[in-house]
Amino acid sequence: MSSTLPVTAPAERGTTSAGAGGRRGRSWVARTRPWLLLAPGLVVLVVLMLWPLVRVFLFSLQDYGLPQIVSGEQEWNGVDNYVEVLTSAQLWAVVLPNTIGFAALAVTATVALGTAVAVLLASLGTLWRTVVSSAIMAAWAMPAVTGTYVWIWIFDADRGVFNHVLQTLGLQDQPVNWFTDRWSFYAIVLLNVVHHGFPFVAVTVLAGLLGVPKELLEAAEIDGAGAWRRFFSIIVPQLRQVFAVVIIMSTIWDFKVFAQVYLMPGGAGTNREVLNLGVWSYVESFGQNRYGFGSAIAVLLTVMLLAITVVYVRTILKEDEL
Amino acid sequence: MSMLSVRRPTRAVQVGKGVAVVLLLFFTLFPAYWMLVSALDARAGLGTSFLPAEPTLDHFRFVLTEGGFDVFLRNSAVVALATVLVSALLALLAAVAVARFRFRGRLQILLMVLVVQMVPLEALVIPLFVQVRDLQLLETLLGLVVVYVALALPFGIWMLRGFVAAVPVELEEAAYIDGASWGRMFRSVLFPLVAPGLVATSIFSFITAWNEFLFAMTLLGGATDSYTVAIGLRSFFGQFSNQWGAIMAASTLITVPVMVFFILVQRRLASGLTAGAVKG
Repeated sequence: MSSTLPVTAPAERGTTSAGAGGRRGRSWVARTRPWLLLAPGLVVLVVLMLWPLVRVFLFSLQDYGLPQIVSGEQEWNGVDNYVEVLTSAQLWAVVLPNTIGFAALAVTATVALGTAVAVLLASLGTLWRTVVSSAIMAAWAMPAVTGTYVWIWIFDADRGVFNHVLQTLGLQDQPVNWFTDRWSFYAIVLLNVVHHGFPFVAVTVLAGLLGVPKELLEAAEIDGAGAWRRFFSIIVPQLRQVFAVVIIMSTIWDFKVFAQVYLMPGGAGTNREVLNLGVWSYVESFGQNRYGFGSAIAVLLTVMLLAITVVYVRTILKEDEL
Repeated sequence: MSMLSVRRPTRAVQVGKGVAVVLLLFFTLFPAYWMLVSALDARAGLGTSFLPAEPTLDHFRFVLTEGGFDVFLRNSAVVALATVLVSALLALLAAVAVARFRFRGRLQILLMVLVVQMVPLEALVIPLFVQVRDLQLLETLLGLVVVYVALALPFGIWMLRGFVAAVPVELEEAAYIDGASWGRMFRSVLFPLVAPGLVATSIFSFITAWNEFLFAMTLLGGATDSYTVAIGLRSFFGQFSNQWGAIMAASTLITVPVMVFFILVQRRLASGLTAGAVKG
């Protein structure tokens, strides 16, 4: 508790006499100092994040296209954009399943693999733990853009190594274009996202695992609890907070997957079957110049993420004192 | 010896673990390995071999000269460094404010910082495109830096807040007792102790700016001379065939600095912050 007590600023030099005037000056400085320190950062956040958020909402209520951008005129059309989004077959048949379904799969896979790797790491000796965690760091460090290009290259239809291996093994006669089918397209996105995302889970869960009291696990083992039992009855309850944070963070990230879809062949709007909310908003705005319609989609995505964020903030608030 | 079990592992468990480690190493390292092999192979894209069939540095040479990556790398470095300097300064000041002072509105500001981190970039890109356009900063690196500072700031404040809070208040009080002003205390006590956190935060902002794709693509448009590495890569996708050797060489050039920084952050975060500063 003591570390979060306020630190009162000392009197400025020259006003050390404990006169009433000096005192008032000092408390004024102490009161305004936090705001002076915050001011530059706050200005940036308000001008570049909060104001744009307000504006994207305002755009979503307008017919906002290239003419309006150039002339600066506003053509309000109420909730027309939202009606169009919510009644579009594209949304319900393609975009929402691609966004929510994918996020659900990706979060499950990322958290399951990350946790399994954390348990594996905890059971390894020092040497192998260093080797494996270095490899994990390499996967984590790979930028999303280059990582996506590498996966595209691996699965390339004509010369990709994946098709080559399948053909060498005699599993298929001709090269397959994995990017045209919606399911195989998203399978590759899934591989890409899990590869990039599980290291965070593994490292975080490992840190939590190492903090579980050894005595608890030993006692359970002596009492005859098997490995699964020990995992689900001791480790999972002990790490509830860690899992909550890891799951929510992964959910937020996997909802707004953009470059991993956009850069794939057909991902930038030419293949309408593989659009997700983020890409759809972007291609409607910058591809079709329908900025108002795109804004409405973006607002939908933001609202969904905000709902998840509320859960996240609650978890954080429970965990540590702000 | 296992950390989660007191018994000696059986042979089957040992073998299972070995298999798991091998599979995991393959899954984590294969993309990076394949990227390197293709970058170093003169015959990349012509045949498939798991070692460079004809080892060469030609792809790198091509990328750095005709490919224009010398310019893209310089642009990215300029943008990332400017982002790091500005966002680190702003984040440090704000972090000191929220970690060291109690004032009305503090909790609201912390919540705002937490929430804006979750805002999808796709929602910000439309209004920010219009805003940057109005400022006539489209197709300039400055416009990109301004946006990246905002993107890096919330995380920086959040992270540095922890580092500042970890510095014992006793150290600050000792400085005051020795007659230091707030400014002097900040420079001589707080700043040196928060420096490791500042390094970690800076590296994260560097990586954010270096990897960012959506805003670079939208704000730079057709200004090829201003391209950063993340969008420079697209220039190797030909209409008829992709130059995979060149793409992989360029990808390697982009990835290496990020990997180096990741290793640096790990060490920094592991070392104790103010170990031994307060006894008892």
